[in-house]
Order: sequence, then structure tokens, then C-alpha cells
Amino acid sequence: MSFSFPPERIRNFSIIAHIDHGKSTLADRFLEITGAISERERKNQILDSMDLERERGITIKASAVSLTHEVNGEEYLFNLIDTPGHVDFAYEVEKSLQACEGAVLLIDAAQGIQAQTVANAMLALEQNMTVIPVFNKMDLPHARPEEIKDELENTLLLDRDSTLQCSAKTGEGVEEILQHVVRDIPPPEGDPNAPLRALIFDARYDEYRGIVVYLRIMDGSIRKGDWVHMIGAGAEYETIELGKFSPGPVVHPGLTVGETGYLISNIKRLEDVRVGDTVTLRKGEPVEPLVGYREPQPMVWCGIYPTSSGDFENLRSALKALKLNDSSILFEPESSDALGFGFRCGFLGLLHMEIVQERLERESGMDVIQTAPTVPYQILLTSGKTLEIHSPGALPDPTQYTEIREPIVTTHILVPTESIGPIMKLCMDRRGLFLRQEHLSANRVMLTWDLPLAEIIYDFYDKLKSGTKGYGTMNFDEPRFEASNLVKMRILVNDREADALSVICHANAAQRRGRAVLKKLRKEIPRHQFKIPLQAAVGGKIMARENISALSKNVTAKCYGGDITRKRKLLEKQKEGKKRMKSIGNVEVPQKAFLAVLTTDE
Amino acid sequence: MGLGERRNKPFSVNPLQEKGVSLYVHLPYCASRCRYCDFNAWVADKADFTSYIDAVLHEAREKATGLNPQTVFFGGGTPSLFPKEELSRLFEELQIITGYQTSAFEITAEANPESFSEEKASVFSHGQVNRVSLGIQSLQPDILRAYDRAHSSEQALQALDRIKRVFSQCNVDMIYAFPGQHPESFFSDLEKLLAYSPDHFSCYELSYEPGTALTKKRDAGKWNPEDPDLCEKLFLAVQEIFSRHQYSHYEVSNFALDNSPCWHNVATWRTLDCVGLGAGAVGWEGGVRQKNILRPVEYESAIFERGSATLEKEVPKKETVLFDLFMMGLRMPHEGVSIERAERLTGLNPLLVYDKELAQLRQEGLLRVTPEQIRVTPKGLLLLDTVLQSFLPTQSV
Ligand SMILES: Nc1nc2c(ncn2[C@@H]2O[C@H](COP(=O)(O)OP(=O)(O)OP(=O)(O)O)[C@@H](O)[C@H]2O)c(=O)[nH]1
Ligand code: SF4
Ligand SMILES: [Mg+2]
Repeated sequence: MSFSFPPERIRNFSIIAHIDHGKSTLADRFLEITGAISERERKNQILDSMDLERERGITIKASAVSLTHEVNGEEYLFNLIDTPGHVDFAYEVEKSLQACEGAVLLIDAAQGIQAQTVANAMLALEQNMTVIPVFNKMDLPHARPEEIKDELENTLLLDRDSTLQCSAKTGEGVEEILQHVVRDIPPPEGDPNAPLRALIFDARYDEYRGIVVYLRIMDGSIRKGDWVHMIGAGAEYETIELGKFSPGPVVHPGLTVGETGYLISNIKRLEDVRVGDTVTLRKGEPVEPLVGYREPQPMVWCGIYPTSSGDFENLRSALKALKLNDSSILFEPESSDALGFGFRCGFLGLLHMEIVQERLERESGMDVIQTAPTVPYQILLTSGKTLEIHSPGALPDPTQYTEIREPIVTTHILVPTESIGPIMKLCMDRRGLFLRQEHLSANRVMLTWDLPLAEIIYDFYDKLKSGTKGYGTMNFDEPRFEASNLVKMRILVNDREADALSVICHANAAQRRGRAVLKKLRKEIPRHQFKIPLQAAVGGKIMARENISALSKNVTAKCYGGDITRKRKLLEKQKEGKKRMKSIGNVEVPQKAFLAVLTTDE
Repeated sequence: MGLGERRNKPFSVNPLQEKGVSLYVHLPYCASRCRYCDFNAWVADKADFTSYIDAVLHEAREKATGLNPQTVFFGGGTPSLFPKEELSRLFEELQIITGYQTSAFEITAEANPESFSEEKASVFSHGQVNRVSLGIQSLQPDILRAYDRAHSSEQALQALDRIKRVFSQCNVDMIYAFPGQHPESFFSDLEKLLAYSPDHFSCYELSYEPGTALTKKRDAGKWNPEDPDLCEKLFLAVQEIFSRHQYSHYEVSNFALDNSPCWHNVATWRTLDCVGLGAGAVGWEGGVRQKNILRPVEYESAIFERGSATLEKEVPKKETVLFDLFMMGLRMPHEGVSIERAERLTGLNPLLVYDKELAQLRQEGLLRVTPEQIRVTPKGLLLLDTVLQSFLPTQSV
């Protein structure tokens, strides 16, 4: 690979799509036809390099890779970004697009336009980017390109004749996509002779080499040995190594305008690298920082606590290290009677929350306890001020506020016409407000509803799937806050209030929720030697009660000479499990119980 | 608590020698696999009984020559399922190797109704077996079917009758807490069996051990175990029934008429030495615990190749030996753990080592502590596992 390409022979593009429409598989084919990976290195979804991505078969993080390929007799440099499709990771797509001049919009030719097809395409179109629609999985017998062209025209107003067709599985049509990328997507702008301006779009902590900074060069160029200045963080470092990803890191002496790569400067201070910050050279004239990224807006919050209370500081560093690689997490310290000191963390959705918890445990080797997620609320205080809270425990005394506002999201639900009925009912049950219904094609519609975020965050998606035989998909816009009749439901365990278990819910649903939560707690909290009353209360009023009866028998029925070691180990394991429980008063509560609030009542 | 007091009197004899050794022989094949069973048992379809007995005898020559055990236990699996030629060969040779016919005062063999024929009874008795333990579990046809037991209730009663005629001592194995079974239905099973006056009963609560068919069914949500409160009531009711019939409740799940406990098992609850032969057999001798390879065929080849089939060897440290003494000893409500003996065996005085725990458990009414002995109260027996957890040493090996 030659050192630098003139901007007119560089193309930066993202592959965007609904989940599972084949983005990472298409990226595999690009890697192969450009010779970036050899026959021997072939494996499926090679850019899904994180263990969690491979285990779950989905892309979680966008990955950038630089490829060179000849089109029409000229050698081009393609910087492509494979993006995730799951709704929780839309922020990754948004960031990726900011480093590109165009996008390949992949559409599963059997499934058609889905909610995230629309949402991600809109992200690109709103920035006036070139979008190349490509129908994928054309090898499938039930591919229906003509019908999907109707959907494309109706939803995204894209020209039906502009679409390409391919099979990322067989490789058919993949070469043509690169030709269209060259023809339709403009080369990067930016001035090669201007002072360096580079956008930090990602970063990762490497134990041996410090922070690896991922850059897209917007103006100018950078060479090894240059001293760089991170404008936002105000830090300065000498460049030790530069390189590109193809797909593994490959050292390059420099990076120039339009290119994407990495920088290593033995940076150990996590604070010095911020995703979205602008990198320039220390010497030379000062530059205007790039726009950077918008702050992510968390949709759900939950408490994360170390299992052993001594690990609080370790948890803080683990969260910081993770935040470097996933700038969409927010966290702030909090404390709870039962759980001690931990953090309130904000996420873009429940899958995001689950992934972060898994990554935290794997990457730091630490066990954590997670409390039930909640949406944020705005509290209108009697003083006239508004307070945003991220946990039910933070709700002030009722005398101190006049109103609770909850997040409402405009939700777009794409379903086959025959499932309109059940989905309308589902939205109504979830306190929704119907806005409109639009036909995408003869047998698919888009329903638009205003729904409280709290109602859709938990199992709405599962209900949508089961109500549409798997064909329904949804997407929602940024939330806005509206006043609602909400109450805080306190949970009392053995007459003691358990702050980590309280919930904010709609007044009409309090009794039902209370019963469901207590039932679940009864299952999760082991029996003790005394009877444990459980209560759910709103204000002074008890909404539901349950009892955990006293444990009066706990004896192994059979134990003979051959069982000694095994039984002893079993007792040890049980004792170990007890140690990991948290106490509410004199009641030992296992980790899982703190998620009881998540239970659905049906 | 009157009930607990009445029964809890120690046996008036103690034929077990503190320095004596027991012999356990594992015969791992069964006619079918019972759904609750987590023993080292294998369905006998393709079993090569001859080769298995060869291996056991080979192992016996290596480990038990001149052993002169005080008790012998042929357990399974289903010993009565083995062909009579193999059984007589096993008994005869083993007597020559170990001398048990003169040294042992109790020789038990397990049997199941489907295979305990008149012939097997006579082979057992020629082998000097003087105590037969019969697996009945239930007399309810639907429950036997749900357990996948290989016999009918009629076969069970016939077998019991046969044992009573030929052998001096007899045990019946029963299981309660089958989900949804009316307690009276189980009690009537017991009454029917009590009419034969076997001198011993093992009566277990149905338990869900890792890996069994029932446990899998339960975890898949297709089987609901009996309500724990009812299990407790049954546990107490069973004690009441046996107490009424003059049986002594001498271990969590074991009941015996006067002075006829299973002494072999009493020896293991006292953690006396024992040599184990056969697949999966565990031995405890001179402070070393050894467990054999579980799979019969693999056990056989190991024995034939290297004369030993040890899979695991554990040399527990003294804190663990002390814990094991408690774990096993406290199962016997009237015998408990002798403080003097515990100190002699481990060099640790439990009154000092478990100082705080004992005070706490006594205060909670779970233990009775005298200068000689530590025993559970009736409440402590019900909560034995909770009691034991407080004694656990931090590291066992
Ligand atoms: N038949 C067929 N299957 C395909 C094709 N492309 C991808 N797939 C399959 O579709 C599934 C999803 O593919 P991925 O490449 O992981 O999809 P993705 O869009 O990257 O998914 P996310 O990153 O999780 O949003 C995999 O099972 C692929 O093997 C294709 O052209 N034909
Ligand atoms: S007969 Fe006994 S050892 Fe054999 S499978 Fe049944 S319970 Fe297990
Ligand atoms: Mg992917």
C-alpha cells in the first residue's frame, strides 16, 4: 500500500442497515476482493472482533478498515466503516457517518425496509450524504426486490432505479458496489496544506502501549514524531506510531487528509483522550476545533455496584476505561443502603446496558451487581426549578415537588397489515397516543404512536415480535418530557424500606406492578429462619403484600461415605453464595432480586 | 418436642471397633435408570458382568488382602441384578481374599424387587449376607412409573416377604414428597410395609440432585417439586409414624428397631476407615480419601492395566477432617459428635475451634453441647445444613 493517496482517490463510506441485514458479511466480501485478508484468514463477520460480538452474532461497535482496490484502472483507497444495526447502537452509526461522505444502505431483499433501515438512512440523508441503496441476500428464493422498491420510494423517497443488488453470501454484485461508491460518493474535502485537524472517533486502552487513538484526518497531515495537541483535553503528546487498519493495524509513516487510522503516543491518562475531540499539531497556527459529536442522551439508567464493597475505586477505573471505548456511557457516583457505594450509569437501551455490564465484568475481572433499570424523570420542584433524576431513590419528598414528567417518544412501528389490530391494542395498553398510519407497500404499514419510554423499554419489543410473527420492527425518536400521574412505589422487606428496589410507575398500574414485584421477590429471596413480610407501598398506602415463610427445614436427605467430599463442597458453594448476597436489614438478598422490578405482570 | 425426646436414646450396644475397617463393594448395573437417581449406576444392556467382577476381585487382591473387615456392604446399582454365577464367584473369592466371613458381623447387600429371585436370595445367603436392603420407594403404580422403576408394587411385597423368610435383618428404602401425592397415600404405603416388620427403614425426601432426569425436568419447568412446607410436615409425620412403631430415628433419614441400625453406615457417619472396591467406590483410610473411576468399562481397563483405578485422592487437612466429623456425626441425633474422639482424631478441640459458632447455635436452640458431646436438637436436625455452614473451614484441602 502506497503511503498516501490524493483525496480524489479516497472514498470514505459506512455500511448502514437494519440489524442482521448483512453489513458485516458484506464487509467480509470487501476485505476479500481487495485482498486485505488471505484465504487462510477468512472467517465470517471478521470485523466483529469483540468476543461478545462473536458470541451474540451481532455488531456492537462500528469498525473502520482501510482497503485499496483498483476501479476503472485506478487504485483507490476505501475507508469503510461497518456499523451496528441494533437500535441501541444508533449513536455509533451517527458517529461513523460523521467520518464519511456517503453510505451504502443495505436492505435484506427478503425482509424489506425495517425500522432501523429508515432510521439509519434518515441519519445519512439529513446530512445530505450520498446514500447508495443495495438489496442484499438476493440469493434467497423469497427475495422480493420489486416490492421493496415500492417501500423504498414510499418511505425514503429514494429512486427505485438507483438500487443495486448483491448477495454478501455468494459475493455476487459486490464488485459493482465499489464501482458505484467511486462514481457516486464524493471524495473527501479538506485541505491537504492546511494545519492538521483530525477527529478522534474512537479509542481503546492497551495495557502496553497506552491509549490507541482512532483518527480521521479532516485537514492537513501528520507524521511520526510530530507533537500533537488534543484541543478539548488540552493535552500534548509526541506521536510514537501511526497506522491504518486493514483490518489489523499496519504501521504507516504518516496519515494525510481524508485518511482514517490510529495514533499511539503512550498516553496513560484516560482523561486526555475524548472521543469527538480534535487533534492538531502543537506547533503552527491555532485551528478551529471540529464540531465533534453530540452528547449521547441515555434512555435508561441503572445502579452498578461492586459485589465486594472494597472494589469501589476499581469499579470507577473500570468504568473510565470502558467509557474511553464506548463514549455513550454516562456514570455518576451514588450510594444505597443495601448496596453501599456504586455508580448510577446511563445507557442507550437495555441491550446496551447488558453489554456494558458484561464488558465491565470481562474486561476488569470484577463482579458487579446491577439494579433494575429506570428511565430518567424530570421533577418540577415547588421552588420552580426542574430536577432530572435517574433513580427512583432520588425522588424528593412529595411536599417538595408539584409534578413528575416522564419521557415520551414518538415511535415508528413497521408491521405487516394483518397484525395492525394486535399492535394497536398493545400500544393502547401501554398508555400510547395514536398519531398516524402510512402504507409502505400493499401489505406493510408504518404506525406512529407517542408512547411513554418507560412502557416500551422493558418487554414491548418482545410483545411486538410475538404480535407480528417476528415481522414487526420499531424505532423511536429522541424523548421529550411530559407531565404524568406518576407515583413512587416503595418496597419494604421485613418492614425496612429497600431503596434499591423502589420504582416510579403510573398510579393506575401501581397495584399490579406491586404484586408482580413482590411475587418475584418472594421467589428470589431465599427463606430465612424467620418469616419475612414483603410490602409495596405508595405513600402510606400498602398496595400489595407477600410473605416469605420461615425456613424451618434445610437438611440433606442422603449422605453416605461416598458423598463426603461432594456434600462438603456443596455446602461451601452455598456459603460462598450467601457471602455474595447483600443485606437489607437482617435479610440476605441475592443479586437477581434487585432486578425484580423488571418483571412483567402478565 | 416430646416426640424427639422419646426416640433419641442411644443404642445399648456398640459392636463397631474404633480401629476396625469396613469394606464397600460397588456393583453399578441396574435394570433401568430411576429418574431421581444420581448414584453411579448404569443400565445393564451391554454390561459384561464377568469382566466387571474380574476387575473387582483384582482390585480386592491389590487393596484388601487379609483386610478382615468388621462390616461389608454390597451396594449399587443393583447387586441382585448380577447373574448368580458372578455373584457366587464374587462372594467366594472375596471371602478368601478378605476373610470377611469370619471378621464381619454385618454383611449387607442391596436388592431390587425385579431381580431378587429365590435363587438370588440363596446366593446372597451362601455369600454370608445377613442383611438385605430392598429398594421399594413407593407402592403406588403411577409413582413407580413416574420414577421409571423397573418393578411393580406386588413384586416389591413378594421380595420383602422373601427377605423376611431368609435373612435375619432387612432394610426397606422409601421415598416421600412425590409432588401432589396425598400424604395419606404415602403413610398407607408405610403401614403396609410395617406389617412385615422389617427391622430397618431408610425414608428419604425426594431430592433433586444435579444431572438427574427429574432435575432436568424441574429446571425446564415441567416438574414442580412438592411445597417445602409440606415436605417439612412429611418429614415430621414420618418420624411420628416410626416412633409409634418403636423404631429409633438414629439418622436424618434412617430408622431402626432396637439395636439394629445399619452398622456399616453408622461406621461411615463416624468416619471410620473403609476400603472401597469397584467403579466410583470411595475409600477412607489413614487420612486419605480415594475415589475410583466412575464408568465401569474405564474402571475395568484401569484395574487390568495398572491395578488401580483411582480418579481422585484427597488428603483433607485437620480442620476439614474435623468438619467432616461434624457433617457426618451430627446426622445422628442421639450419638452426635464425641468431643474427646474429635480431639483425638484431629488434634483440635472443637470446643475451642468452634467456640463462637457453638455458642451462637446453642443460643438459637439448634445444638446441645455437653462436656462430652455435641448433638443437634430436633430443630437443629431440621436445619442441619444451616448449622453445618457455620462450621465450614475456609479451605478444605
Ligand atoms: N442467504 C444470505 N444470508 C446472508 C447474506 N448476507 C448475510 N447473511 C446472513 O445474515 C446474518 C446476519 O449477517 P451479518 O453480516 O452479521 O448482519 P449485520 O447486518 O452485520 O448484523 P448487525 O451488525 O448485528 O446489525 C448472518 O447469518 C449472515 O450469514 C446473503 O447475502 N445471503
Ligand atoms: S435402582 Fe437404585 S441405583 Fe439403580 S438407578 Fe434406581 S435408584 Fe439408581
Ligand atoms: Mg454486523
